[in-house]
Amino acid sequence: MDVFLQQLVNGISLGGIYALIALGYTMVYGIIELINFAHGDVYTLGTFFSLAILTLLGVTGVVTGPLLIVIVVVTMLGAMIACGLVGVVIERLAYRRLRNAPRLAPLITAIGMSFILENVMQYWRGPSPVPFPDLIPNPDVHLGIVTVATKQILVVVLAVVMMLVLQVFIYRTRLGKAMRATAQDRDAAQLMGIDINTTIALTFLIGSALAGAAGFVSGVYYGSTWFFNGFAAGLKAFTAAVLGGIGNLAGAMLGGFLIGLIEAMTTQLISDQWSNVVVFSVLVLVLIFRPSGLLGESLPAKV
Amino acid sequence: MRLNSISRAAGAGVLVALLTATVLPPDVRAAGQTLTIGIDLPISGADAAIGVPTANGAMLAIEEANKHGLPGGYKLASNLLDDAVQGKHDPAAGAQNVKTFIADPSVMAMIGPFNSNVAKSEIPLTNDAGLAQISPSATNDGLTIGEDAKRLRVANPDVNSFFRVCTRDSRQGAALAQFGKKLGFKKVFVIDDNETYGKGLADVFEASFKAAGGTSLGHEHITANQQDFKALLTKVKETSPDAVFFGGTTSTGGGLLRRQMGDVGLNGAPYIGGDGIGDTDEFVKEAGPMAQNVYYSIAAPDAEKLASAKTFVAAYKARFHDTPGPYSANAYSAALIEIAAIEKAIKADGGKIPTRAEVLKNVAATRDLDTPIGKIGFDANGDTTAPILTLMKLAAGGKVITVDQIVLK
Repeated sequence: MDVFLQQLVNGISLGGIYALIALGYTMVYGIIELINFAHGDVYTLGTFFSLAILTLLGVTGVVTGPLLIVIVVVTMLGAMIACGLVGVVIERLAYRRLRNAPRLAPLITAIGMSFILENVMQYWRGPSPVPFPDLIPNPDVHLGIVTVATKQILVVVLAVVMMLVLQVFIYRTRLGKAMRATAQDRDAAQLMGIDINTTIALTFLIGSALAGAAGFVSGVYYGSTWFFNGFAAGLKAFTAAVLGGIGNLAGAMLGGFLIGLIEAMTTQLISDQWSNVVVFSVLVLVLIFRPSGLLGESLPAKV
Repeated sequence: MRLNSISRAAGAGVLVALLTATVLPPDVRAAGQTLTIGIDLPISGADAAIGVPTANGAMLAIEEANKHGLPGGYKLASNLLDDAVQGKHDPAAGAQNVKTFIADPSVMAMIGPFNSNVAKSEIPLTNDAGLAQISPSATNDGLTIGEDAKRLRVANPDVNSFFRVCTRDSRQGAALAQFGKKLGFKKVFVIDDNETYGKGLADVFEASFKAAGGTSLGHEHITANQQDFKALLTKVKETSPDAVFFGGTTSTGGGLLRRQMGDVGLNGAPYIGGDGIGDTDEFVKEAGPMAQNVYYSIAAPDAEKLASAKTFVAAYKARFHDTPGPYSANAYSAALIEIAAIEKAIKADGGKIPTRAEVLKNVAATRDLDTPIGKIGFDANGDTTAPILTLMKLAAGGKVITVDQIVLK
C-alpha cells in the first residue's frame, strides 16, 4: 500500500511539470487554433535561462534560509520573463504573418521554430547534459507512510497556484475577457475595439512564461538538463492538453496529472518500458469515446 | 571563322586530356600519394567524453606512422567522422559515415564504431565493400559470433570484415557477475537501456549472476530520452537490492539513473555496470552527488598499469596533454594493425597502391602483433585472441581505482 502511495506522489510530481507545459499549449490552441510545436523547446529554454541566472548570482549548491526564497523567486521570475519574451518574438516572427494562411503553414513554421530553438540551445550549452545546481535542500517530509521531497511539493504547489492565478486572470480581468472574446470570434472582437494583435501576443507571453516556470522547476527537480529535453516533454504535455480537452485550462491540468500518474502506475504494476504505450493507449481510448477530451465540452469558455 | 576552329581544337584537346585522366587505372598513378584510414566514432555530446580520447589514440598511431615513413613514399591520412546525432551515438549516422569511406577510393581500412548498435548498421556495408573495420570497443556478442553475426554478413556470407580488439559481452557480463559475487552482492536489480549493447550485457550478467547462485530481483528496460526514473527506482527500492546493475551507457541514461537513486532513498546501494558507464568525466557530471560507490568494467587493459603500454602512454600525454581514455590504447592498437596490414600490402605489390581486399586479408591474418595492449591477433570470427578486462571502482570525489585486471581465456 505504501508503495502505491509513494508512486502516487511520484506520478503527481511528474504530472505537475507536464501540466505547467500543457497550460501553454492549450492557451495558444484556444486562441488561434495553432499547435505551437516550439513550446516544448521554450520549456527547455526556461531551464537554460534559470541556469544562466543562477550562474550570474553565483549559486552553485544548496542555499538555505530566506536567501533561498529570494533566489528561487528571482530565478523563476527571470526565466519566466525571458521565456515570455521569447514566446512573443516567436509569435511575431513565425506566426503573425501566417494567421490567415492555410492551417498547414503555421504548423510547419512551428516545427521550424522548434528546430531553431533546439539548435540555438545546442550551440549555447553544447550537446551533452548540463548539470543544474542542487538549489533546494532536500529534506524529505514524512506524511504518515509516504515520503515526499521538498522539490516534489514545490512542483505540485507551483502547478496548482499557476492554474488558479490563470483562471482568475482569464475570468476576472479585462485583459482576460479580451482573450476570451478573441478566442470566440476574432473578427467580432476586433469590431468591439479589442486589439487582437496585443491580445494574442499576451497569450504567447503568458503561455511561454509558464513554460519558463516549468523549466526552472524541472531543473531543480532533476538536477540536470539537456537541449533536447523539450521534445519528449513537449510531446507528453501536448498529449495532456488533448487528453484534458485542448483549449481548456482545467483540462490541461487534469491531463498533465493523469499522464504523470499513468506513467508511474504502469512502471509499478507492469514495467517501465510500457509506460509510453499505456499513456498513448489511454489517449486513443479517450479520444474514441470523447473526441473533445475529458473536459472538452466547455467550448464557449475556451482560451 | 579562324577563331572558332582554334577554340574547337583546343576544346577537343582538353576533352582528350580529361578522358585520359579518368580512364587511367588507379594503380599506375605515381607513388608517394596519400592513403586514408577512416575513423568513425561519436565525438560530440555526452559520448564525446569517451569518443574523443579514443579517436586521439587512433590519430596518434597514424601520425607516428607518417613520422617513420611508409614504404613506397606513401603518406597516411585520417578521416575522422562523428556518428553522434544530438549528442548520442546513432546507427544511421554511422552507416552514412561508412558510405562516405567506401566512396573514397583512398580509404584502405577503417576504425570504429564505438557502439554495438552502430556496428550492426555498419557491418553489412563494410562486408559488401570488403573494407576492413576494427572496433576498439563494440562488445556485443552478435557482432562476431552466432547466427546474429552471420545475418550481418549479407553480401559476402563467407567473408568477415569486422574485427575488434576488445572482448565480448558474454565474457564481460560473466566477469561482472563473478565480480559482483566477490563484492558480496546476493540480490541485484537489473536495468538496461534496451539497446544492442546494454540489453545484451544485462542479459548475460543476469544469467551468469543467477548461475553463480545470486538472485535477480527484476529486470527493467528504460526508454530513449527518458528523464524521470523516480517511479522505476521506487519500485526497485521496494525489493531492497544489494546493488543495482545497469546495462547501457552514460549517454543513454546511466548517469541520470544513478543520480535519481539518491532522490528515492537508494543512496546506500552500490551501482554496477559495464564499460558503457566507464566515461567517468561525463558520468560524474551527470550522476552528481551519487557519482560514488560505482563499479564498472573496461573491455581493455588499464594502459597506465601495463608495462607494454608505457611508451604509448608517454607519447599520448606528450601529444594531447591529457591522460589516455579507457579505449585510447585499444584504438591505437587497432590503427597499428591496419597500418601494418597496409604496409605489408604495399610491399607485396612492389609499391603499387594496395587494394582493400589485400588489406582486409592482411588484417584477418594478424597474429601476435606487438601493441600496447599485448600481442594481438584475430580468430576466424574477428575476435581478439588476447582479451583483457579491467574492473574499476569510482569512489567519492570522482576518484577512479583499478580493482582488478583479468586476462580472459
